Amino acid sequence: MSDSSSGHDWAELAELAHQEHGDRALAQGLLEAWRREQGTAAAALYVSSDSGFERTLTSGSGSFPERLPRDTSEGIALPGARLLAVGTIDRAPVGPLRVALVAALEIHRLRRRLKEQRFTHNYRGVELEALYDVGLAIASTLDLDELAEGVLLRAVSLLDARRGALYLRDGEGNFRLDHTFGGDALAVLPVGDPRLAAVLSGEPDAEADVLPGTHHHLAVAVEVDGDPRGLLVVGDKESRTGVGPFGERDRRTLGLFANQAAIALENARLHRQALEKERLERELDLAADIQKRFLPTSLPETGRFEVLGWNRPARHVGGDYYDVRRLQDDRLVVVIADVAGKGMPAALLVSTLHSALRLLETPEGLAPEMIARLNQHVTEASASNKFITLLLAEIDLVGGGVRYVNAGHNAALLVRDGGGVETLGSTGLPLGLFAGSSYRVEGTSLSAGDLLCLFSDGLTECESPAGEEFGEGRLAALVREHARRPLAEIVREIDRVTTGFSEGAPQADDQTLVFVRCTDEPSRG
Amino acid sequence: MSETLKVTTGRKDDVAVVYTEGYINNQGGEEIARVAGDLISAGERKLLLNLGGTKIVNSIGISILIEIIEKMLEIDGRLAFCNLTPTIEKTFHIMGLTQYATIFESEDGAVRELAG
Repeated sequence: MSDSSSGHDWAELAELAHQEHGDRALAQGLLEAWRREQGTAAAALYVSSDSGFERTLTSGSGSFPERLPRDTSEGIALPGARLLAVGTIDRAPVGPLRVALVAALEIHRLRRRLKEQRFTHNYRGVELEALYDVGLAIASTLDLDELAEGVLLRAVSLLDARRGALYLRDGEGNFRLDHTFGGDALAVLPVGDPRLAAVLSGEPDAEADVLPGTHHHLAVAVEVDGDPRGLLVVGDKESRTGVGPFGERDRRTLGLFANQAAIALENARLHRQALEKERLERELDLAADIQKRFLPTSLPETGRFEVLGWNRPARHVGGDYYDVRRLQDDRLVVVIADVAGKGMPAALLVSTLHSALRLLETPEGLAPEMIARLNQHVTEASASNKFITLLLAEIDLVGGGVRYVNAGHNAALLVRDGGGVETLGSTGLPLGLFAGSSYRVEGTSLSAGDLLCLFSDGLTECESPAGEEFGEGRLAALVREHARRPLAEIVREIDRVTTGFSEGAPQADDQTLVFVRCTDEPSRG
Repeated sequence: MSETLKVTTGRKDDVAVVYTEGYINNQGGEEIARVAGDLISAGERKLLLNLGGTKIVNSIGISILIEIIEKMLEIDGRLAFCNLTPTIEKTFHIMGLTQYATIFESEDGAVRELAG
């Protein structure tokens, strides 16, 4: 390089150095100057990288490879860089040109480091913002699903993870997978599972089974007041060159994030619980309404027989049913039933029973086959854990004969005029338990002064504060004692005594009574 | 959501639109960079990244997006984003991407602005 050309180059470089992105422009200017000095058609500047040397600048027209291996002997070595040119290269940049070139490269490195530091600094801002956002969500997001997904996505992105999973503790204490990202995760970590304890206590690699297929994991408990309510797990931390392990700083970041998320998730969980309770209340009210519609609003005229039906549902615990119908051929059908379960499923089963009883009525009267068919129908229509106890009695209003089937219901009481008490006990299994159940039809008769009492277990199973049941014996004695009084008074008396027995405790189950009294001697023809 | 980012392209007026669906992480970012590089090589100077199908971006993905922005600046091109989730939009602001790339609410609004 001659002195005259050097003066020209420095003037040009000084101008370039003031431009935007000056380091690159400066290096470019230096490269141009060197190429001209060398008299070559093209030149390239390679900067040292992890894998060797990378082409960063070219000058003139010529083709150069993108990368050079670390041990290359091509070109001219500079500190942290190499110079290549097309054609013969006489010498490396000398004197001020070389100093300027090395300085430009250093500036370039410093600027890159500054850029990386600025990036890292800004990303700390993103982390803080994420914590702040989760804090805001405590007050604003009450949708648990939306919040849980948001929490998991934020955790995965904040930690530069490739995979993630959020577990929430269920009613039994198990940690159940709520949301997953990027692949499958273990469905549940049961309470008592040693893996769960290991993960919660932060044992190294304890999370390995949670995100199958990942190589590096990090898990933190989502705690409210020191009580773990969930688990945040992330897998495989990304970098530009692949995936690697999470560091201590990652654990702190995820821990802070989980603490914030815990409050928001707990808030949303409580909100969902309240909504669910409200929905359940509405459903139970509706179910109670439906069920009430199947109870008779008036009772038929029965000549020499007095009939009274009484039902008091327990709030939200449905299932009792009764019906009294007079058929055209002077038969009176009296039914009492108790559906296991509560809410809408029980109400729908009552509806099924109500319609099936009417459909199965035949002029021939009560027969075992009819109840067997009813049982078949109920079995098919109900869930496996639902069943109905039923007592159906068919009373001949002329002759006083009684034919009945008792499918697992409480034995009805028959208080004779003389004071004796008989029972109409079980003649088969409850409806809906087994499809092939068979039933017997039994018989008895009613004479003047006899009182038939059908009841549900809501009366006999009402409890004293000490937990003692009222029992069938007490009820039988009560009915017997008041058997000659008007039916409405007997009902009132039973209500008074049972309510007194339970000392005002809330009624736990439906209570139903159906009385049939023969007031005059029937004609036995 | 799938781990692998899907990238498709389209054109509106003289704007090349890149649609993403999935996680903008290392792999996803590299895929966007590859597609953007091809578009730039083909002479495109106005790129719109429609991130409507993306709910999540990590720091590696952001660094790759910054490189694409730098590449566009070098060729005096323009790059814009649209359909960002509020979280991603806030992240882009904090990371400084909005100094060199505009964010639009909708694709139509972005195309009107870029094509003008």
